[in-house]
Amino acid sequence: MITLVSIYPTLLGTYGDGGNVMALKHRAELQGLDVEVVTVESGEAVPESGDLYVMGGGEDSAQTAASNALRAGGAVKRAAERGAAVFAICAGYQLLGEYFPDATSTPTPGLGILDVRTDRLPKRAVGELAATARDPLDQVLTGYENHAGATHLGPDATPLGMVKAGIGNGDGSEGALSGHIVGTYLHGPCLARNPQIADLLLGWAVGRELPFIEEPEVTALREERLRTVLD
Amino acid sequence: MGRGEGMVIGGRVIMRLSPNAIRDLARGRVAALVSATNGKTSTTRLLATAVEQAGPVISQHTGANMTSGVVVTLATGDPDATAVLEVDEAYLPQIFQATAPRVILLGNLSRDQLDRMNEVAMVARRWREMLIGAEQTTVVANADDPSIVWAARHAPHVIWVAAGQVWTADSAVCLDCGALLRRDGDEWGCPQCGFARPTPEWTLEWTGEHGIVQGPDGATYDLHLQLPGRFNAANGALALVATVALGLDPGESARRMATVQSVSGRYAVVRVGELTIRLLLAKNPAGWTELVDVMPPAPTPVIVTINSNAADGRDPSWLWDVPFERLRGRTVVATGDRRRDLAVRLLHAGVDHVVIEDPYAPGAPLPDGMRDLDVVDCAATYTAFHRLRTTAEQQ
Repeated sequence: MITLVSIYPTLLGTYGDGGNVMALKHRAELQGLDVEVVTVESGEAVPESGDLYVMGGGEDSAQTAASNALRAGGAVKRAAERGAAVFAICAGYQLLGEYFPDATSTPTPGLGILDVRTDRLPKRAVGELAATARDPLDQVLTGYENHAGATHLGPDATPLGMVKAGIGNGDGSEGALSGHIVGTYLHGPCLARNPQIADLLLGWAVGRELPFIEEPEVTALREERLRTVLD
Repeated sequence: MGRGEGMVIGGRVIMRLSPNAIRDLARGRVAALVSATNGKTSTTRLLATAVEQAGPVISQHTGANMTSGVVVTLATGDPDATAVLEVDEAYLPQIFQATAPRVILLGNLSRDQLDRMNEVAMVARRWREMLIGAEQTTVVANADDPSIVWAARHAPHVIWVAAGQVWTADSAVCLDCGALLRRDGDEWGCPQCGFARPTPEWTLEWTGEHGIVQGPDGATYDLHLQLPGRFNAANGALALVATVALGLDPGESARRMATVQSVSGRYAVVRVGELTIRLLLAKNPAGWTELVDVMPPAPTPVIVTINSNAADGRDPSWLWDVPFERLRGRTVVATGDRRRDLAVRLLHAGVDHVVIEDPYAPGAPLPDGMRDLDVVDCAATYTAFHRLRTTAEQQ
């Protein structure tokens, strides 16, 4: 049984990111894995014993509130340190890092479990995002970005992919990976459009590599989106 | 080119000729502006119809609610008529400044077209700045939507209406301090800073069939609207209170609003190709949440059309916030430019579906029984909805 902890879906779920939890449940079912979803709302304690933690994007004030509560509680950090998988989008991605800009652009401390620092892009990044994947992924990453963050990776994090269309981190790379922690700017939602990432996370949770199972609906959507932005 | 597009181009020409056109055309005769994420076209029509009790009224007929649409409406209508105007959320501050309306009606705010609108908090912040010191205007505002209350509560003159809120996910957090709001029945408030629901002067009760609006003096007004659902009763309640703010008779307003049959094609039954369809405008999660209840129960199949043009929002990831699970037990025809996004969403929701590029073409592989239905419900995003209306008119 995989324990999947959905962190603050009400605070961090502005862009359909709740779909990532649905996608993980769906992929787990295809893979024959049992998943229990524990939903933690703001004000509630985050369990430390989860196998996989998921966070979405959110507005500036919600992001700061979430970061403060998670830093005070400490459960996500302790779980990540013992090897639990963490997957975070956009505002959630930024708050895994050392700091991110709050609503007034003041640097605000994050959880510090991913070696990234975020400040502001000169212009908000809004549109389709496509990136060439890097190891351990090999399928092109596709999604939609809507953020103003420029994220700079330190030596302990590697990009999830290299941007082919869109902005991503702002320096030609997209997302970040470190151990079992993944952060990305891909909405869409990310794991419905990139099931390979869902399988990677589930594989970490069960401690073995999972075979890729293709679904025609998803392949058709991916091909259409990539055609739109790359042709 | 549709009529709405013609208005937009005409409006751009006028604005090019005279940048102050709105101010010049509006001078002193704008009774009310109406804005909200959902329901602004219907609310505007209800209000305009009610305000006609005092004389001629001009208003948009196409839903063109940005600067150009407002300019053309003011420029082409009876120059002495009172204006009741629908305004896009993002354009509201500038049009408010230019028109100095006597009343502004603020219905609800939720996620919609995030690629263009920015986030709900940002819209609320701009509305709040707009209303500071607005002495000439009475704000009629929904006390049940925390984002609306946050935007309106420092305005000099506000009438609070308990019009209800079904979709709460976009007003979960206190806009003052970021704490999670507490909800208890109709009441809501921030446990940290004290920001809370104001005491409404007017309230709406929904019987399941019609609305009953109660005023501060205890008098009640029955709203027997032809527009379906609780959300239209909420639109009507806000419009009714707006007419009170304009010094009109609420009883007469309620009677006049009951004559409105269909607003810009919403719920209209039209013939497209081989099918007779009922047009449902479904453009964001909050709107969808209310629409599913208006559809016939499973296993009746339905058509869902999703586009992602500018007016729909370029990013259809909001589909994942819609409770499509509630459509289980029937087959959904997924169509529109983003039918593949919808198909993946329905796959995850466990809803049986077929993807068809043109379900109105002869011989389209429609689900069993759909051709036998007298009327097929077709929920569509903004541009898809208007495309279907235009196609039906041309047939």
